Amino acid sequence: MSARRNPAMDQVAIVGLGRSPYARDRKGCTPGSLVSEACVDAIRDAGLGPADIDGICGSMVSAQWIQAALGIPGVAWFANPQAVIGNQITAAVAAVSSGMADTVLVYHHAYRLPWASRSAAKDPMRRRATLGVADARSWWGTGHNDTGPNSLYGAPAYAAWAGRYLHDYGYTRETLGLIAINSRTNAARNPNAVYTEPLTMEAYLDGRMVRDPLSVYDMDIPIDGADAFVITTTERARDLPRPPVLIHAATLGHTDYGSEEQLRDLDHAGQMVVVDRLWAKSDLTLADVDVLYPYEGFSNIALSWIENVGYCGRGEGGAFVADHWVEAEQRIMIHGRIPVNTHGGSLSEGGTQGAGHLHEACLQLRCDAGARQVDGAAVALVTPGGYYFNSQGILLRSDDT
Amino acid sequence: MTDEELLDAFPGVRIDADNAAWHRGLLERRLLVNRCDDCGRWHHPPRPLCPACWGRSITHTEVAGDGFVVLVTALRQGPPQPGVDYGDGGHALVAVELDEQPGLRLAGTVVGTPTAEIRVGDRVRALWRDIPGRLPRADFEIVAGAAGTGRVAGGEGASR
Repeated sequence: MSARRNPAMDQVAIVGLGRSPYARDRKGCTPGSLVSEACVDAIRDAGLGPADIDGICGSMVSAQWIQAALGIPGVAWFANPQAVIGNQITAAVAAVSSGMADTVLVYHHAYRLPWASRSAAKDPMRRRATLGVADARSWWGTGHNDTGPNSLYGAPAYAAWAGRYLHDYGYTRETLGLIAINSRTNAARNPNAVYTEPLTMEAYLDGRMVRDPLSVYDMDIPIDGADAFVITTTERARDLPRPPVLIHAATLGHTDYGSEEQLRDLDHAGQMVVVDRLWAKSDLTLADVDVLYPYEGFSNIALSWIENVGYCGRGEGGAFVADHWVEAEQRIMIHGRIPVNTHGGSLSEGGTQGAGHLHEACLQLRCDAGARQVDGAAVALVTPGGYYFNSQGILLRSDDT
Repeated sequence: MTDEELLDAFPGVRIDADNAAWHRGLLERRLLVNRCDDCGRWHHPPRPLCPACWGRSITHTEVAGDGFVVLVTALRQGPPQPGVDYGDGGHALVAVELDEQPGLRLAGTVVGTPTAEIRVGDRVRALWRDIPGRLPRADFEIVAGAAGTGRVAGGEGASR
């Protein structure tokens, strides 16, 4: 058994992209309405119909629900791994490459729950959706049953680890601000982004503090929206209308310190497992990457990803971003050529836990990204998730590299 | 106390056989942390086996509640809760590494010190307060004259 083994390399491709447009407040939407819109869009984009889908792999909305809603006549394989998107992608790759299914529909949605936004908290139907449990993960019996303002489970721990990062390496909030400004600058060229007005460092530093040292500008934007992907064999993909996006390598990464405040330190996070595995399974290297998608649902996560994928050493991410900051463009251009989160990321396009990052990476590799298309983009590195149970890496390439 | 009385004491909390002892301890103002009878290692939150040696003989063992701050943030907003003030620098939320074992941590708040003055490395001890309407839990206070004396090394990610 070797971490290098990767019989699925380039054998499975993303052939359809679909979306339910992101919005700050979609009146009258449900998780089902969002996901079904994205799924229909993705299947049509792939040039396929319901009878062509024989596998379904989504996040919270059940595979059975989506199958019935879309009238998909026969499904041979299905799964509903928990978020975030790399869980669905790796499961779908395994299903297709093993022959469990030929063509898999993958989806994920964001539906603002009461803890995610104030307007959502005023909606009685959204309040009921959490069944009165403060941390939704307590449903799963993972031991996460401490609640409210005295628990580090979930979002507060990201703020605490952000503070620890600044403390350990001597950075200030300006370091985090560059990640937020980069996302906002790139969002200006993305019609799907919910926030597109420019963000200055002065405005960033004046941002309303939510959990020190993270302000509103450091935290993903709650939205209603969904993404869907159609995944099949590369062989079949070459007969379909869209340029295939090949999944070169994909991995998840956990450590045994799976809950937030128990994480030993940022040197023993799930990201380290991801990066070790991903590069071992790949024939490509970091030097081949043309576009980079580090998740930034909290701004500090992106700094950790930039370090851990190999651009610089641990704790050097802040300095690296400052060194590769293009002042005239107000964004990061690594080595003058590699943009980061070209769609505006979770901080400006809208928070969909990395699904939006994956969608954008596919658009870039299909040369379908409109005004923000990166010339010659052939290899994309997508790293969804944070530090604990959700670190993931997906290395994508176009078919002609 | 019966299981039903325990459940009634923690409305809305997912109490089960694996974490009941921890919650019973909170009602008695004791921090009862899982310790393995075979290898002596502690773990938290409570699980049905020892992650270090897979031993299933666990004793819920009282810890002193002494330790140091490894993580700190200030919550500027959140759900209303008795005893919690999100204004004036925010509600302090910390992870405390207990002296019993490296990596053994509890989360909670720090009282008696302005939130902005709490630092990684500060020595703390557990403190019990009666706050009507709040579920029983331990808080922490900074040990006078011992700010910043914890075992945390800065830089190089070297918290060990």
